[in-house]
Parts: sequence; C-alpha cells; structure tokens
Amino acid sequence: MTYSPPHPGSLVAFAIVALVAGGFIALATVDGGKPALLSISPYLVQVLTFSVIQAALSTLLSLALGIGLALALARRSFTGREIVLAVLGTTMVIPTIVAVYAVFAIYGRSGLLAEALRFFGWDGSFSIFGYPGILIAHVFLNGPFVARITLDALRQVPAEHWRLATAFGFSPAQIFRHLDWPVLRAELPGLAGLVFLLCFKSFAIVLALGGGPSRATLEVAIFEALKIDLDFGRAAWLALIQLAICLSLTAILNWAFARAPAGHTLRAPVSRPDIENRRLRIIDAVILAIGALFIAPLALSVLDGLRHVPAVLDADFIEAFATSLAIAVTAASLACLLALALASAARRRRVALKSPRIAALYDFLPSTLLAVPPFALTAGLFLLIRRFADPSQAGLILLPLINGLAALPFAYRYIAPRLLTAEERYGRVAASLGITGLSKLRLMDWPVLKRPLGAGFALAMALSFGDFGIIALFGGAELRTLPYLLYERLGAYRMDEAAAIGLLIVLAAFLLAHVSGRLSHAGD
Amino acid sequence: MLAIEKCRLTWPDFEADYTLNVEAGALCAVVGPSGGGKTTLLHMIAGFEKPESGTLTLNGQSLLPLEPSKRPVAIVFQDHNLFPHLTVAENVALGLRPSLRMTPEERRAVGEMLEAVGLSGFEKRRPGEMSGGQRQRVALARALVSGRPLILLDEPFSSLDPGLRRDMVRLVGELRRRRPVTIVMTIHTPEDVADLADQMAFVAEGRVIASGPPAAILNGPLASRIASAVSDS
Repeated sequence: MTYSPPHPGSLVAFAIVALVAGGFIALATVDGGKPALLSISPYLVQVLTFSVIQAALSTLLSLALGIGLALALARRSFTGREIVLAVLGTTMVIPTIVAVYAVFAIYGRSGLLAEALRFFGWDGSFSIFGYPGILIAHVFLNGPFVARITLDALRQVPAEHWRLATAFGFSPAQIFRHLDWPVLRAELPGLAGLVFLLCFKSFAIVLALGGGPSRATLEVAIFEALKIDLDFGRAAWLALIQLAICLSLTAILNWAFARAPAGHTLRAPVSRPDIENRRLRIIDAVILAIGALFIAPLALSVLDGLRHVPAVLDADFIEAFATSLAIAVTAASLACLLALALASAARRRRVALKSPRIAALYDFLPSTLLAVPPFALTAGLFLLIRRFADPSQAGLILLPLINGLAALPFAYRYIAPRLLTAEERYGRVAASLGITGLSKLRLMDWPVLKRPLGAGFALAMALSFGDFGIIALFGGAELRTLPYLLYERLGAYRMDEAAAIGLLIVLAAFLLAHVSGRLSHAGD
Repeated sequence: MLAIEKCRLTWPDFEADYTLNVEAGALCAVVGPSGGGKTTLLHMIAGFEKPESGTLTLNGQSLLPLEPSKRPVAIVFQDHNLFPHLTVAENVALGLRPSLRMTPEERRAVGEMLEAVGLSGFEKRRPGEMSGGQRQRVALARALVSGRPLILLDEPFSSLDPGLRRDMVRLVGELRRRRPVTIVMTIHTPEDVADLADQMAFVAEGRVIASGPPAAILNGPLASRIASAVSDS
C-alpha cells in the first residue's frame, strides 16, 4: 500500500478548524471552564434583544431603500446614471469607521443638518446616538448594496420575457407581477439574511454610535468583556451564542437560497415597456430624490477632508499608513493562498474523486468564518500564543491572521469558480497529455486564474485596509492602523483631521475595489 | 396576405431591407445564415423593431402604426417563452388575458388548446417541471389560443433533438389543419419543413434573397448557399 500525502487544501481546512476550535477552547477554559451562562442571562437577553431589533430594522430599511432604488434605476436612464451605479457599488467597500464619521458629519450635533436647521432658526437639539445613528449608518452601507445586487438580478430577466410583455401589452402592475416580483422573490431571502447577518454582527458602528452599554450587539459585548472587564468566560459564552446564531443563518443562506443559474439569452437587451407610464415616472423621481438626498451627503462628507489632508500627513499618519498597508498585503496574500488551497481541494473532490458532498464542505468552510466572532477568536488565539511568543507582539501576528481569515470567504468566491472553469476547459486535455502538478498550474490554471486571483487579492486588501475590528483590542501608541487613527481623532472631536484620514482610507479602498472590479470582469 | 414592401432598418453595423409576400393561411419557412437578419425580420413584423421606411400590411391593414400588443400577431421564441412562476394553464391564458382573470369560456379554451398540443392534465405544472419540447408546446398553445391570424415562430424547435423537432413540426401541421393561420417560421434545418411549408424564403445580409416553393428554393441556384448556411449555423 502506497502512502499519498494529504492535499494542501485538506491541511488548510484542518488548520482553520483547529485554529478556531483551539481559540474557543482556550477562551472557554481560561477561568477553569466555569459555567457562566446563567450569571449573564439578563445581560444576554438585553444584548440579544437589541442586536435582533436593530438588525431587523436595519434590514427592513435597507431592503426598502435598495429595492426602491433598483426598480427606479432599472426603469430610468439619465445623464450620470453610470456614476450613480458606481457610487452604489462603492458604498460596499466604505469602511464602517468612515461611515461612522459620515453620520457624525451630517447628522451629528454640529453636523451639516444641525447647522442647516440652525440657519433657519431652529434651536432644538437631537441625539444621533442609539437607534437613529446606528440605523442611518447601516442603511447607508447596506441600502446601496441591496440596490446594486437587485439591479444586477433584474437585468438577468431574459429579453424574450420583455418582448412577450410588450406583445401582451402588460400594464405596469402586470410587469411588476410577472417580471420584477419573481426576481425580487428569489433575491430577497438571501439578501435579507446577508444584511441581517452583517448588521447583527455590527461592531464599529454600534460601538461608536450606540451611546451606552445598554445598546450593544453581541460583537460589542464580547469586545467589552475582553477589553474592559477582562471577563474571558463571559466573552466565550457570548461568542458561542453568536457563533450558533450566525452559523445557523449562514447555513440557511448557503443551502436554502442557492439560486438556479440565470437564464441565458443571446438576444440583445430591450427597453422595458413600463418606462412611459406617467405615475411610475413620478414614483421613480421621488425614490431617486430620496436616495440621492440620503446617500449623497453621507458619501460626499469625507470630501470635506480634502482641505485638511496636508495637516494630517505627520509621522503618526505615515506609520499608521505603513502598518495598514503591511497588514492588508499580508492578510490578502494569506486569504488568497488559503482560498486557492481550499478551492483546489474542492475541485479535486468534485471532479477527480466524484464526491460533491465533501467538495461542498470545502465550499462551506470559508462561509462559516463569516459567523465566527473575530474578537473571541482573537482573544482565544492570544491566550494560546502568549505561551509561545511575546504578548506585546501578538497584535502583529493576529491582525493579519484574523483579517486574512475574514477576507477568505470573499477571495474564495472569486477563485473557486474559475478554478473549476479551468478544469472544465482543460482538465481532460491535461489528463490525456499527462500534465500534472506545477506544470498544470502554470499552463492550464494560471491563465484562467490570474485575473480572479488579482481581483480577490485587491478586494481582500480593500477590506483589510479599512477594517476597524480587532485593532480596537490591540490599538494604541505602539500599534496604529489608519482606521484606528481615525477612531482616535473622532474620539477627540478632531473632525477635520478625521475627515482627511477618512478621505484617504476611502480613496485607498475605492482604488482597490476598482482594481478588483476591473480584474473580475476582464476576460481571460 | 402578409405584404412586406421595402421595409428598411439600419444600425451602425447592420442594414436590412425586406420585401416579402406570404399568402393568407400559408406557412413560410425562413432560412439563412446566422446573423443574416431572419430574427430581425420576425421582430419587425411583431413590432419590436420599427422600419424607417416601407410598408407592412396584413390582409390590407397596415401594421406599422400599431403597438406590438395591438398587432394581430403572436410570437414563439427559441427559449424563455414561459414565465417560470406561472402554471402551464396560466402561461397559456396570458395569450387571451394578461390579467389572468378569465371567464369560464376562456378557461375552457385554454383546456382545449392544451389538449390540442397533447398536454391535457399538465395545467397545474410549472415550466421548470417540463421538458424542452413540452415547454415549446405550451408556447405554441398560447400563440394559437390568442386567436391572432399571424403566428411568428422564431427558431422554435432549434434547441430540441432531431426526433422531437420533427414531432413538433408535425404538430404544427396538425394545428394548421384545425385552425387556418398564417405562419412565418425561421428554421435552421429546412428539410424538417420541406413537406409542410408552402413557401420558403432565403434571408441573408438583411435581405430576402429569394422566395418561392420550397422545392424550387432548395433545388435552385441557392442550394449550395442554403446548405452552407445550414452547416454553419
């Protein structure tokens, strides 16, 4: 019997599972494994209630805005429409800490809205903390995302269906019923689940805009347990509960709402027959105006920082920029390498070994990382590595590692399908010619893979570069990233400098996202 | 009679200029190379494309001023004819009443038409639960139930295997005997309809190059071009 070494993807999968499990075990056993769930149950109920309510409201409002915008944009063409679409696409990569700045800049006590109201003689006051600020930030980040995804889905309606609608003389209501609604019905559950998951796990926005300990998501509660109370047992329980909830939701999203491939049509696109309807024109104009009034000021608020850029280009900034860049490059490299190994293992299982169920497990593993609370994982891993390494240097190891794992699901989505495409195209030829291993990678896979790999790398970098997550645990005078610097400036009410830093972060994220988009849409 | 006279359409990269007459009640098979303008011809008759000049009449009535939904024309495409969220009966009923609020007579008509295409008992099924051939039968039933005198079939059976394709062509022949309609049908494989068609038109480069009885077209001077177009497509 010959021994065959395990596939690198199997080792990666095992390492990820071991890392997550080890982190949790370390966290749960640090206090001797006391069953602390009962003692935190009233607090837990409060945190869960708030998390669910804010996430549900954020989801509802994001879907309402996003779907309204998508339908209006599907029906209308106007000068600048492409710019609007680009803006909708880019809000997905706006770092949450920049969104926090934008909410303060527009809706804060000294924000643009308050200034405008005072100009008209209003002398009242309002607080952005709590639900208003959280909902505004969440809807700002997720509404355009929903709009973009829904619009792309609406474009998949076969041209033949539009021609039939024209031939049958469908009314606007019948068009909605027979063409738009089936698309929305297919998209909504998945989109709602994803937005809910993102808002349920929200950290930076709730931490900065929550306005007090009574308004914490599980993610914030874990952070507070670790950073403020040093209560590792409580953090472990909260993390397990979050993991269970998010994992269940991720599993449902992954399997229950897997969509059939979009209908393939070779016919040229046709215009919708409902664009001439007068009532719809008015409705669309109102929706587009509401969307513009809500999104544009927030999206453009960082432009105010342009004037202050020279003032922030000091040694702190340079150091933070270099740290962010180094972390982002390392995290993106890690994410792409892990994704490549896992995708390769999935492909081998699916094609060569004919075991699609095991391949599906490889596909599912990156998605499960979305459900793992990064603070709990970080704390657990910190407890593990402090036995072997200098704890003061832990941040330098854990930041790229956790960011890399967080970016893995996104990198995987770029890489895995193309790796399968390469196999479909060249697999048989490679097998017949006896091309295997590195030669196969160089000759068959690389030409198909290089662009999605680049796209995944750029997106992973964009996500990591703007991330304000576990840097909140390790950040300080010794270790600063740009998002952490922005958080410090916001905390000190140095809004001009915050705007300038926010602008630079957003520019970097947009640039990387743009590169990612260009590469992902390019042909082989 | 369907009369198309010097109907001209232009795009930056394509020009079309059609002249064609089809007798009332006839089946005209349109053959030609891919990208030659067969589908554009049908889309123009259906009203999806508007010619810049020329005349288009059906039994003396000009179709050009009419919106697609007002034209006495029904169309069946190669794919995506059915709405996947509606049942078979509802898909057919769209040909009669887009609101789907049907009278008992209309309901009966839908049932009869489904029986005519051999799909009795399939009323409650969704398109996703049917084969490609069955889905095209449903689309055919919808075109016929609408009662419109001109039916356009845009490569309706191209995605079916040869045996099924011939069955469907036979079905079209049977349905024509039940209810006389004029049919203009684009097709890749002229031999499938050689016995059935009353007329054949060869369309290439945006023009009707020749039109006449199928035997004359298939055995005439264009035979080699037709054979080449069929093998290329």
